[in-house]
Amino acid sequence: MHLTAWASCLGAMAMLTVACGAGSQLGSAFSTEWQNDGGRSIAALQRELSAPTAPAGAGVVVGVNGAGVVAVTLSGQRWDRPGRLDSRPVIAGDVVLLSGGGRLTALAAATGAELWSIESGGRALRGAGDDGQLTAASLGALNGGRSRLVVVERSGAVRLSAEPEVEIGAPAVLGGVVFVPWANQYVSAIDGATGAERGRLLTRRQVSRALTLGDGLYFGESELLRFDEQVGQAASGGGSLAVLPRREFPGNPRWFTPGAEVLPPKASAPDRVRRFALPKGTGKSGVSFDGDRFAVTYFRVAMGASAKDGVVRWARSMPKDVLGGAAVSGGFVLCSEDGKVSVIDGQTGAESASLALSGPLESCEAHGGSYQVPSKAAERTLAEQITEIVASRDAQMVPAQRFLMQELVRLPDDSVTQALIELATRPDAPPLLGKDAREALAGRRSGAEAMLAALEREYDFLEDVLLPPPVGPLADALLAMKETRAAPALARHLNDPANAADDIMRAARALEQLASASELSELQTFFALYRATAVEAPIVQATISVARAIARTGGAEGLALLRQAAKDPFTHVEVKEAIDALEAPTEKTAGR
Amino acid sequence: MVKRAGAPGRRGQRRSRIWARSLALTLGAASLVGAYESGSLTVSAAAAQAKLDAAKLKKQLESQDPAEIREALEQVTKAGTAAKALVPTLNALLTRGTRADLLPSLIEATGRVEDVSSSAPLAPYLRHRTPAVRQAAVKALSRTKGPEAIKALTRGLRSQDAVVRGVSASALGDLGAKAALPDLQRAFDQKVLEAAVSIGQLCDGASCDEFLKRLGKVRFDVMTAGLDQMLFRPASSMKDEAKLNVVSRLRALGTAEASRYLTDVAGRWPKDYSARVKQALEEAAKATSKGASAPSDDDEDEEDDE
Repeated sequence: MHLTAWASCLGAMAMLTVACGAGSQLGSAFSTEWQNDGGRSIAALQRELSAPTAPAGAGVVVGVNGAGVVAVTLSGQRWDRPGRLDSRPVIAGDVVLLSGGGRLTALAAATGAELWSIESGGRALRGAGDDGQLTAASLGALNGGRSRLVVVERSGAVRLSAEPEVEIGAPAVLGGVVFVPWANQYVSAIDGATGAERGRLLTRRQVSRALTLGDGLYFGESELLRFDEQVGQAASGGGSLAVLPRREFPGNPRWFTPGAEVLPPKASAPDRVRRFALPKGTGKSGVSFDGDRFAVTYFRVAMGASAKDGVVRWARSMPKDVLGGAAVSGGFVLCSEDGKVSVIDGQTGAESASLALSGPLESCEAHGGSYQVPSKAAERTLAEQITEIVASRDAQMVPAQRFLMQELVRLPDDSVTQALIELATRPDAPPLLGKDAREALAGRRSGAEAMLAALEREYDFLEDVLLPPPVGPLADALLAMKETRAAPALARHLNDPANAADDIMRAARALEQLASASELSELQTFFALYRATAVEAPIVQATISVARAIARTGGAEGLALLRQAAKDPFTHVEVKEAIDALEAPTEKTAGR
Repeated sequence: MVKRAGAPGRRGQRRSRIWARSLALTLGAASLVGAYESGSLTVSAAAAQAKLDAAKLKKQLESQDPAEIREALEQVTKAGTAAKALVPTLNALLTRGTRADLLPSLIEATGRVEDVSSSAPLAPYLRHRTPAVRQAAVKALSRTKGPEAIKALTRGLRSQDAVVRGVSASALGDLGAKAALPDLQRAFDQKVLEAAVSIGQLCDGASCDEFLKRLGKVRFDVMTAGLDQMLFRPASSMKDEAKLNVVSRLRALGTAEASRYLTDVAGRWPKDYSARVKQALEEAAKATSKGASAPSDDDEDEEDDE
């Protein structure tokens, strides 16, 4: 690494790359001809830097509205700064960086006071890092390319301004060393004092970001490599990794966007579908997540899941789309389109506190810093939380609702069964959700009382009950539970034409085993009505099931009825065959 | 089934025809119009008198030959009430069930015989999955009558089948099913318009008042179906005071269509009916005509008549 013009750049406020001779400054820092050192240089640097810890920085939420930037610290201090931006603000430790109007500006995160401002060289801000002394920022063209790296002192003195030929990602600074990811597989460590390349990380994992999170420095994008004693092993696929469960969530939320992209000031759909997690070291060679939680957002839904297995532990419906947020010690800070900032207890999902920004917001960024989320007990059970979201009438939420439905059915609560019944019978439920609810109901093995109560309802035009209960799924579940109390209602539903043919078939199948002589009248009526008129396959099958139920419960009279039907040429051929099959063992037994 | 009270004049006849058409369309049975206009909705007397070979027909009905059964059912349908001897056979067939293509004919034939004992075996067919079977059953039940029919038809008001609801509502009035009045009122509120006629046929003080409360809220031409029934009921069924109350409510309504309706009813008022009510009708018609300027749906029809 040669930084020949390094000294001449000190103190320059509007340093152009030409003046600094950036290309030559960087020397071989971004050279692809670098020989893989097996992690030795980065490991050596880690040992050198093991004393300095990453600065926690200020807890702050920064939003972009129509007028400019609005911010509130997590302790409630507000500030704002008008003006147009050409990219999303970046929070780096105690500094908030903005680019717009041809300048890159640093503000104190706590107060909004301007720390320095330099020319951006016609580029927009990609990412930045800060260690309390130096700020490193990467910039680039809006559509990619034209990378620029600047390193600036608190005073505003530009230590480095360079335009590497490679695409660089979001940098971090630790102990005066600037870590710059590039080409998705390298992180070059550049000494802030000498300009020398102090080491280089080669990793086989996607790396476009270097970032300080919680107590550590990490490199990566979809998963993070911790800068610890194991970092030298990254070249051979090792290292301490922070990896979130691979479980699919609605909309395939990302943890971090690619660090080499310029994010526009206005958030788009991917910003509303995110993961938030705070990794932390667990000793010499391990990474866990704060509180064993990560949060996922999907527009107006936020959920917290176990970082071990991805199982949802809480879910919340937010008043507006969540545009951004951050994982914070003890929980999460989520920022909604309307400017509301919700501080969420990571364990319970309860809202511990809330703050407000002047909305509506176009985008929002948050940084937890040293803030600790106050704990708050859960206000409702998980089943209740999910039920509320699943029941909401917002078509955009359907993917989240369907996902949460899968979580809901894992819970044994009786209230879940009731919620599924309501969803399956709601006339305005989105079809996919109604279908999911029916499938889930069929698999329930708890909540029999709710199921029996639901079966008592039937289509009634006068009472405005215009959708019958989900008879088929309820029949499946009650059959599996051997719930004979269901037989009278199931038998009545057989003869209600408002029920779908498939539901009738499943009710009849359940009655094969659950019916008693008390249901004989309904069974015989159904048999008379359909033995010779059934056309739809499910009704033919239902008639066969009913014949079996009559044979089992109807005694001699029932058998006589079936024999008569079997002889009648008008009886559906499949029904006749089924009756003959019923009779066969009896005849054999009689013959012995 | 579709009745128009009183002694209608030319314009009244026209309005009655319009009503019959409207109801018939609602019921999905356009043939009712023709039946109404020819003055009969029952099987002709000649057919009823036809000599039947009951034994032969019974044998045909119990055969397993669809053609034989179909032929027998046609004869029973033509014979109507004269085929009483075949009721047990028909009922047994209904209880046992038969082929889909024969079922509507079997149900219709049973209805034509008009035997109350057929209501119980017919009732389950009101809930058959095939609409044509349900609709045949509801019409048959309106002929076989009796408590079982009333029970089934009252339940028919709750059906998901609009035709079943409509025919049930009409039939309950014909069958004098006063116990069904609360359900008929609810059905009317749920836009089962056929219930209006039955409510008008069956209501007494409080239930008539409940119906009249809808004046001004429900389309006037729908209300008149029930009002007509109330006003033209014989004195033994509805006293003058109750009819005067109807007139008074119409007068209070004071709309152009109320005025025209009052004039129309006064014109149709039978000579042997209460003179007091007729006088009230005429006074109300005169009083409301002053404010009668708003056009109504049947203005055009009336112009044609004139």
